[in-house]
Amino acid sequence: MSQLLESAIHDSGKFRKKSVGRLTFAAFIVFGVFLIYAIQLFKIQAVDASELAQEGFEARIREVVVPAMRGSITDVNGIVLATTVPAFNVTADQTKVIKPKETAKLLAPILKLDSSELASKLVGEKKFTFVARAVTPQVWAAVAELELPGIFSEKTTRRVYPYGDLAGNILGFTGIDGHGLEGLESSLESQLGGKDGLMIFEGGAAGRKIPATDSRTEQAVSGNGARLSIDRDLQYIAQQAIAQKVKEANAAWGTVVVLEPSTGRVLAMATAPTVNPADPGAINKDSRKNVAVTDVFEPGSTGKLLTFAAALEEKVITPLSKLTIPPTLKRPGKVFKDHSPHGTLKLTANGVLAQSSNIGTIMIAEKLPKEEILYDYFVKFGIGQPTGLNFSGESNGLLRKPSDWSQTTYPTMAFGQGYSITSLQMASVFATIANDGVRMPVSIVDGFTQGDGTFIPTSPKPGIRVVSAETASTLRLMLESVVGPDGTAPTAQINGYRVAGKTGTAQRADSACGCYQGFTASFIGMAPANNPQIVVAVTLQDPKNGRYGGVLGGPVFKEVATFALQKMRAMPQPGKIAKIPTTWGK
Amino acid sequence: MSGAVRDASHVWRRLSVSSRIRTYRRYDYVLVAAALCLSLLGAVLVWSSTRVSAGNSGDPLTFFKKHLINLLIGLVLCLIASRISHRLVRAYAPILYLLSVAGLLAVLTGLGVTNNGAQSWIQVSGFTLQPSEFVKIAIIVICATLLAEKRDAENRPANIMILISLLVAAVPVLLILAQPDLGTVLMILSTLLAIIAISGVSKWWLIGLVGSAVASVFLVFGLGLLAQHQIDRFTAFLNPNADPLGVSYNVNQAEIAIGSGGLFGNGLFQGTQTAGQFVPEQRTDFIFSVAGEELGFFGSSMILLLLLLIVWRLMAIANRAEDLFGRLVAIGVASWIGFQSFQNIGMNLELLPVTGVPLPFVSLGGSSMMALWIGIGVILNLDATKSNRQG
Repeated sequence: MSQLLESAIHDSGKFRKKSVGRLTFAAFIVFGVFLIYAIQLFKIQAVDASELAQEGFEARIREVVVPAMRGSITDVNGIVLATTVPAFNVTADQTKVIKPKETAKLLAPILKLDSSELASKLVGEKKFTFVARAVTPQVWAAVAELELPGIFSEKTTRRVYPYGDLAGNILGFTGIDGHGLEGLESSLESQLGGKDGLMIFEGGAAGRKIPATDSRTEQAVSGNGARLSIDRDLQYIAQQAIAQKVKEANAAWGTVVVLEPSTGRVLAMATAPTVNPADPGAINKDSRKNVAVTDVFEPGSTGKLLTFAAALEEKVITPLSKLTIPPTLKRPGKVFKDHSPHGTLKLTANGVLAQSSNIGTIMIAEKLPKEEILYDYFVKFGIGQPTGLNFSGESNGLLRKPSDWSQTTYPTMAFGQGYSITSLQMASVFATIANDGVRMPVSIVDGFTQGDGTFIPTSPKPGIRVVSAETASTLRLMLESVVGPDGTAPTAQINGYRVAGKTGTAQRADSACGCYQGFTASFIGMAPANNPQIVVAVTLQDPKNGRYGGVLGGPVFKEVATFALQKMRAMPQPGKIAKIPTTWGK
Repeated sequence: MSGAVRDASHVWRRLSVSSRIRTYRRYDYVLVAAALCLSLLGAVLVWSSTRVSAGNSGDPLTFFKKHLINLLIGLVLCLIASRISHRLVRAYAPILYLLSVAGLLAVLTGLGVTNNGAQSWIQVSGFTLQPSEFVKIAIIVICATLLAEKRDAENRPANIMILISLLVAAVPVLLILAQPDLGTVLMILSTLLAIIAISGVSKWWLIGLVGSAVASVFLVFGLGLLAQHQIDRFTAFLNPNADPLGVSYNVNQAEIAIGSGGLFGNGLFQGTQTAGQFVPEQRTDFIFSVAGEELGFFGSSMILLLLLLIVWRLMAIANRAEDLFGRLVAIGVASWIGFQSFQNIGMNLELLPVTGVPLPFVSLGGSSMMALWIGIGVILNLDATKSNRQG
């Protein structure tokens, strides 16, 4: 029995032959496959090797920009208005986030974001996505403490504006990449931005450098710091005052420009509305620009100063020149009127300016032997010329050449219409008179601080003589009448100081209808009048409550100039208000 | 009666020390050495491929140690399996089979864990087990038992036995298809075909089986029974540049890694593609690409040669087996290791579409390692305990 079993187990004969045959066949298949694989392996590792190695290398090589530390912007006293601090971008690897909803719920209160919106950012197949950009190290520390899977960070920087919207119109703002988009952040980009570094390395699939591979780094060069001529406190007062007045008058916008006449330095330049550089998206695009340099308007009566300056310098009038002002003045193409109807008036040249008579000013302009003479003065005063500030979006204004003039252009220009200027340009005209007839090109940057701490002051540009010191001082005396009891802006008087200034109430050219609609109200003044240390130009565009420059601009001038004089410790000179007759023949 | 007496005396003999030593001496140590070499090489390659990622979150040696522990457990299981008489194994084959099928059922219940689109794992108190790995050895043993049954006077296995084997294999195959894990199914079917072929069935059976396999492939495609990730993998295989960051990413990155190695390799731990974690699943399904990059053509050829050696030794054992059961089990294990290597290296070399099967002994994976060493243990036993006449 067992013998039988044994022999059966060791099968033999026909069956065994078949089995062995199939085993041999299988062996051939095994060797065949082995051979094919060995050949393919050789093909990949010997024939195609260098090509594949190159392909791999090219996929690994990465260039990462190392952002340069952006320079700070400070006010004249070194108070930081804009600076850059280390920050973190919170990022996510969506494939590694385990519970998106719970993760979002934990993150939302820390990042101050909407939880459901956050959750949607955490779902998907992306290996890298931004959850929140440029959060403070404290916020990232709070996030990191939660140890949430799939939530990572990367180092970045964050632009910080410690005083919110203070000087926002001047500073402008930066984009998400940290480079300037508006204002000084944009126009000073080459100084502030520095030079980004570059890191070249072999990166793994997750983006990190592969250990033990070569890398090359070009160090980033930090940007220079900029010190402005702006005084933080004066800027604050100006900004508050104009914001308040724009609100009261329901104006489209308002500006206050404060200049130092002896240097052309801008001490304050406020606009309302203004932008918060930390959150430019909060207001519409038009409100983000610096209207003091970007928006142009016809100056109106403040422009009469140019006509008077030319006439005095050319000696065709004196302050006491007697003029008989008719109720209306007919000239080819147009009949000119004054702002309020009157009969025939007997005014001195000084009276024409004090009462802001259009007809009187046209008559004075016509005393000039040639129309081109007035145009030349306009150019010398900087009308239609770049201010040299190179502010982003800055406008040069519009001054037509005499060859392009129509019949009505000359008389119209005489009283401040038919050309356009910016608030800053008009302030500069008055600063020229304040600086004894020498126009100092305006500037807003006092200098730059290099990486090693050395301060390199901006080289001052030479002034341009426009009128003589005598003409300038005469004009200042005449301008004092404006704030006198007979003038148009008694509201601008400051106790203890002599003030010279001029109101403007211009018809506003509306590009929408191609007509005049609404007004531009302004007051530009200087103090102390005998030796001006500041020029303050106040402009309100399209006010709905009130229209006169004296009424609207005067009080703002008074508030800002008073603060500036006190801060500069200007000596009060009470009692000596100049009196030049405004009428004659009585 | 005399057979029973003989069996009893056999068991008695096996308990004596001298016979035990004799049995050890008759083990195929070339086979064991080759498998051990591959396992240790695997440990180093797993270490290399994981030291960066594991190092980021703690111990860079985590997966190296894991692989060594897997190997250690595998060796213990091998030793135990080699001590169990293959006659006993044959007797308990149905229980082994039922246990592994129960494991597969557990996978599809709440215990299952999904990874890369396939629900193939069960979690038992911190361990994850992949029952489909143990099913492989169970199917080999039960089918060998069935096909070797009642062959006293016949040359060919009874048709009914072939049908029963197919039915028995069909249950786990369908369960694995449901995971879905096509690679393992293909490997099991190929192994089954090899066992049936070597069992000496008529060629018409073989033609019929291969024919119906081809037909079912067309049927599966036609009826849209494949999961999306499987269709994507085939598309990627047919056109590797179709979607370089999607499905073909794995294959392209593996090819770049292997090609970067060149003839001599970048050196152990020097693989940039490997350190850069470019090849997904590198420690498991794409471990061969680590060898390719770091050890070069000569190093990775060694893996091919070691696997060839193992398959060859197994086939030799099959050839000299004293009974049909032993022959079929040996050919089953040979086919298992051979076909799985063929599939795995084939996808690494862009010769076959991507199927998630591990490279025997080399890939990280506890279940695979344990099942393989159990298989080796069973083979050692049936080879060593042949009657002296044969040895």
